[in-house]
Amino acid sequence: MKLRMIHATLAAGAVAVLLYSVPAVAHHAFGAEFDADAPIRLEGTIVRLEWVNPHSWIHLEVTADDGSQQVWMVEGGTPNVLQRRGLRRDCLPIGTVLIVDGYQAKDHSLPRANGRDVTFADGRKFFLGSSGTGAPEDGRDVGGDLGRC
Amino acid sequence: MLRNTVSFLVLCVALQALGLVSPVAAQAPASTSGDWVLPRTPDGHPDLQGNWSSATLTPFQRPPDQGPFLSWEDVERIEGRAAGYLERVSQPSDPDRVAPPVGGDGSRGAAGGVGGYNGIYIDRGDGVAILDGRPMSSLITHPTDGRIPDLTPEARERRSAYRATRREFGTYDHPEVRPLGERCIVSFGTNAGPPMLPNGFYNNNYTIVQTADHLLIMAEMVHDARIIRIGDGPRLPDHVRQWMGDSWGHWEGDVLVVETTNIHTLQRFGGNGSENLKVIERFSRVNEDTVLYQFTIDDPTTYTEIWGGAVPMKALDDKLYEYACHEGNYALSNILSGARYQERVEAQSLDGAR
Repeated sequence: MKLRMIHATLAAGAVAVLLYSVPAVAHHAFGAEFDADAPIRLEGTIVRLEWVNPHSWIHLEVTADDGSQQVWMVEGGTPNVLQRRGLRRDCLPIGTVLIVDGYQAKDHSLPRANGRDVTFADGRKFFLGSSGTGAPEDGRDVGGDLGRC
Repeated sequence: MLRNTVSFLVLCVALQALGLVSPVAAQAPASTSGDWVLPRTPDGHPDLQGNWSSATLTPFQRPPDQGPFLSWEDVERIEGRAAGYLERVSQPSDPDRVAPPVGGDGSRGAAGGVGGYNGIYIDRGDGVAILDGRPMSSLITHPTDGRIPDLTPEARERRSAYRATRREFGTYDHPEVRPLGERCIVSFGTNAGPPMLPNGFYNNNYTIVQTADHLLIMAEMVHDARIIRIGDGPRLPDHVRQWMGDSWGHWEGDVLVVETTNIHTLQRFGGNGSENLKVIERFSRVNEDTVLYQFTIDDPTTYTEIWGGAVPMKALDDKLYEYACHEGNYALSNILSGARYQERVEAQSLDGAR
């Protein structure tokens, strides 16, 4: 899989990504942890999943421009909500391909980033909707497909 | 003490006259609707046990010019908007999308311009809070404007002194200057309480375990177990300050009334920690699916009047997931190492300029 770290020049065309902006919430101040001047796009395979609090962390192996393999850690939300919505850690098996956009940690020596938008390779979110919300599908009710179990 | 008690009673009478405190709250019912019968523990008191959620779309403070209750049309609009949001954030993204903009994505608050994570992690609740059959416009029910009262001059001075002390340190100098929740010490917002309030984000869930002489309330986030003694006994001496305070409960009919003092001032409820904070809570099992939680904030050295509110805690048809916070708390080390990294970069830049 490819690693594409796209900084200043390419990011100018990323306004459309704002459509996928997420709420300003977290267990901690995201603005204190991640560098707004270091946007990043990752495409890689899951090699480890830390289904832990206060935040889940997805470890992705990506291929850098120089061909080397790197493992990046991507921060997600608390797993409790996903658990209740029917998304278990085994819905995301090792080897699953994900695309992530976010910002790198302020400590640039760390290959870590926030997962402001994490999707499967075809752009799908983990699943559609949740129980009782009026959303189109209920994550608990479907099975067999990645991220929807 | 007498003054506070009299004030509280006067307030209750006044609020009932205004219709802001339901008869349910004042004298918990034996049962409310249908064939439901109030479950009781072997000692004869209402059984409050189970898993409960305080997640709600009702805001804590009331928007200006809003009455205490919403119309059902308002409820439909608010709940529809929440469902629409979830549907929107569940839509697929462009797989060919590029990185977000340099300089930040425009997100504000805690997101600090870098966003957070996919919206499916967010669980603010999907319904408006209902009190005595009427949809609430705010969780604060008194004073009548549904907002936290003004601070006293003493509290303003205390807050200024606290801020001055904080300014002696950099925001990311060391772990002790970071928020308690970020350090996995206690709570997130005021989940653990008292008062126990929804955080507006996620994991507003509780497990209640009850015996004849104790009530344990485990807040899912951040796995805070609060133990309330029921009965009478020696209070902690004033200088002993605990997370979540020293709580004692007693039954008034079918309502468990809990009074808490000795709250650690670093919990700083509402950013205004005070040694004189006393929280009075009332737990009523009002129907099969609801424990009505009411709270009153009594701190004359901080607020110009007594205030409080109500949160219907709904039965959670699910399990809580252990919130083992420290084990995965990379965020705190990332924040601190990020600050050190940026300092090194700045120092090298200055060296290069010389």
